[in-house]
Amino acid sequence: MSRAEATSPAVGGSAATATAAATAASRAVGTDGGPGRAVGADVSDTASGGPRTSRARATARLLRNELRLVLGRRRNQLLLALLTAVPVLLGIMLAIVSDSAYAGQGPGFISRVAGNGLFLVVTSLFLCLPFLLPLVVSIASGDAVAGEAGAGTLRYLLLVPIPRGRLLLVKAAGALVLVLAGVLLVAAAAFLTGGLLFGFGDLTLLSGQSVGTGAGVVRMLGVTAYVAMSLTGLIAVGLFFSTLTEVAIGAMAATVVVSVVSTVLDSLPQLAAIHPYLLTHHWFDFAEFLRWDVSAGVLLQGVAVQAAWVAVFGSLAWARFTTADITS
Amino acid sequence: MTSPDRTPESTDPIATSPTGPTPRTRARARWAVPAVAVVAVGAAFTIPAIASADSPDLPDVTAEQLLASVASAEPTPLSGTAVYTARLGLPEVSAELTGGADPLNLLSGSSTIRVWSDGSDRSRVSLLGATSEYSVVTDGTQVWTYSSGKDEVRHVSLDDQLSGMLTVLEQQQAAKASTADVPTPDELATQILDHAREDSDITVTDPVTVAGRSAYEVRIVPTTTGTLVDEVLIAVDGETSVPLSVQVFSTQDPDSPALELAFTDVSFTTPSDEALAFSAPAGATVNEKVLTLADLDPDGTLTGALTGATDGALDGGAWADQHADASGTPTLPEGVSVTGEGWATVVQRDGVDVAGLLSGDPAAVAELAGEDSPFGDSANGDLFGEFAGDGDGPGLSLDTSALYDQLTTPVDGGRVLSSALLSVLVTDDGRVLVGSVPTQTLLQTAGLA
Repeated sequence: MSRAEATSPAVGGSAATATAAATAASRAVGTDGGPGRAVGADVSDTASGGPRTSRARATARLLRNELRLVLGRRRNQLLLALLTAVPVLLGIMLAIVSDSAYAGQGPGFISRVAGNGLFLVVTSLFLCLPFLLPLVVSIASGDAVAGEAGAGTLRYLLLVPIPRGRLLLVKAAGALVLVLAGVLLVAAAAFLTGGLLFGFGDLTLLSGQSVGTGAGVVRMLGVTAYVAMSLTGLIAVGLFFSTLTEVAIGAMAATVVVSVVSTVLDSLPQLAAIHPYLLTHHWFDFAEFLRWDVSAGVLLQGVAVQAAWVAVFGSLAWARFTTADITS
Repeated sequence: MTSPDRTPESTDPIATSPTGPTPRTRARARWAVPAVAVVAVGAAFTIPAIASADSPDLPDVTAEQLLASVASAEPTPLSGTAVYTARLGLPEVSAELTGGADPLNLLSGSSTIRVWSDGSDRSRVSLLGATSEYSVVTDGTQVWTYSSGKDEVRHVSLDDQLSGMLTVLEQQQAAKASTADVPTPDELATQILDHAREDSDITVTDPVTVAGRSAYEVRIVPTTTGTLVDEVLIAVDGETSVPLSVQVFSTQDPDSPALELAFTDVSFTTPSDEALAFSAPAGATVNEKVLTLADLDPDGTLTGALTGATDGALDGGAWADQHADASGTPTLPEGVSVTGEGWATVVQRDGVDVAGLLSGDPAAVAELAGEDSPFGDSANGDLFGEFAGDGDGPGLSLDTSALYDQLTTPVDGGRVLSSALLSVLVTDDGRVLVGSVPTQTLLQTAGLA
């Protein structure tokens, strides 16, 4: 559902709709209240503190609203539910075939899952990373600004007395939280499903050496954190596209295309020289957490590349968003 | 949203500020930020590479002094990461195709390798795939390999009799070394260099930095033009005399090495016992191979030579004598002949059933593995076993015949594999010719051109 529907008081019923309607309504107050006033009913903010505190409070409130909106939106909840279903279905499927001829076949770490439920975490992230998670990223970030512009609510949002740059940060935080929720849900669902269906044991690393279950769980946390970190560059790219257009679906599609093109370029040996700087090149380096000697250097390379993409596309999005005329 | 050049109508205070810079200058200033970000990111990624290109300061040495220090160096424990790159002009055999990291990946492309070694008996080498590893762990005479993609362990060890013989031979060698005519490192270096200089120019060039360490670089240039090797560069650590990188350049591309193995990160500390130990992971397939005397010496000639002279006591010298002619050069096994010399040497082997090997015909594999091979040691049998494929286990198994067809091109009277550094000719009448020479030389040697 879009924010335009939510503004209409006729739409209602579910909790999610109510939240969205409340948010949109609180933003719409600005039209009547004028640009100088804080949005919403809480007038005491501006009265009690100086402009700095009022601005900080306005930001905090905006952030709260944004998170409520992003996580409360039905389409996002459905997306997260589908993501959560991936490890559950995968686990059940592997449990069913574990005694058949299909056991142990498949890409990546699938053959290890039946022996140790912890591997379901890696396997699920491994399977979601090439396409499903970039899709979530593009939906979250592509919609962030363009969605508001398309629904005609962006100009009301700009009435909140905070700089546009900070508004963009709030939008980025909303997208980041949605993506983070997706990654965490996949990992958590995989952890629970794996534990229930296959049990946990010592984790056999890629080198054949083993570590205990406790250390194994820590390594899975590392894998999850690295996967989430890997997606930040694509979020910045999506956010930039989102500031370019009022058509949210265009920004989403363009973001998916970037991740796909990056993967294709990464597979061409002729382009080996640029591979280390590609957005997706270091994505599967999460496997570093499954090596005996986890190399900080390898992990930091991935972090550095994502930081570079965030710096470039984040600043592009900022330049575009703070200079553009916003009429819708 | 529309273009920033339009007259502002928005209620946004930033864009409509009545005083200060015009919206247009403001917009320009803001777009300068991403431009600066691009430059800063570019600089951050390129400056470290430029900084490490400086030539470090090391005292001048001659090739003799350098080789002497390598020969006299204490065994150095180390752990580190190395990058291997092959630009041989062969098709890439990716880790996906081999079902995880596999030695076949080394045919082309870049691979990362991690090494742990205590400097003498024990070591672990891991070939890293994107989400897989192929590990080789050695402990004295025992070798384990573990492929994470196939979840398979191979364990090669010697039986009691063989390891006993080996111990005796080692002791004899050590006794000889402690008593008499072992050359000093200096003499050894001179001997080796004198021999090598018959075919090559050997010089020590400007020091280089490898893996953040100052290293001497030795340049070996073949004096003959008949070979595919243009030059070989070896970097030797200035402090520990451990080789840090090897680059082999082909005459086809003198700018980038056809083969390169270089540490990117190395530390000379003893690795922990855990790093060097091996135990088969739970659930993995384990293939045990115990080498017996009968494997190496089916008809008993070796044992006869080793024990013959002195009532059952072992004597390594007797075996070496039997396998060398009057001038001390080792004799060649039957069916193997050598033409050319130095870098342009061509080795020819007759009577190889290539089609049988490719189809995994056990008889053909056994025949080749059982004999002494011109290319090396007992590991050959295992390697051919691997190539021939036993067809078991999950995952993709490589179609050997297809790979052979892809790697080689047909010529009149056989098939040729030509790479940047090595050419192989397989003739239709069962001869295999190998040499670091142009294909044409092989064809001439075989009498096909």
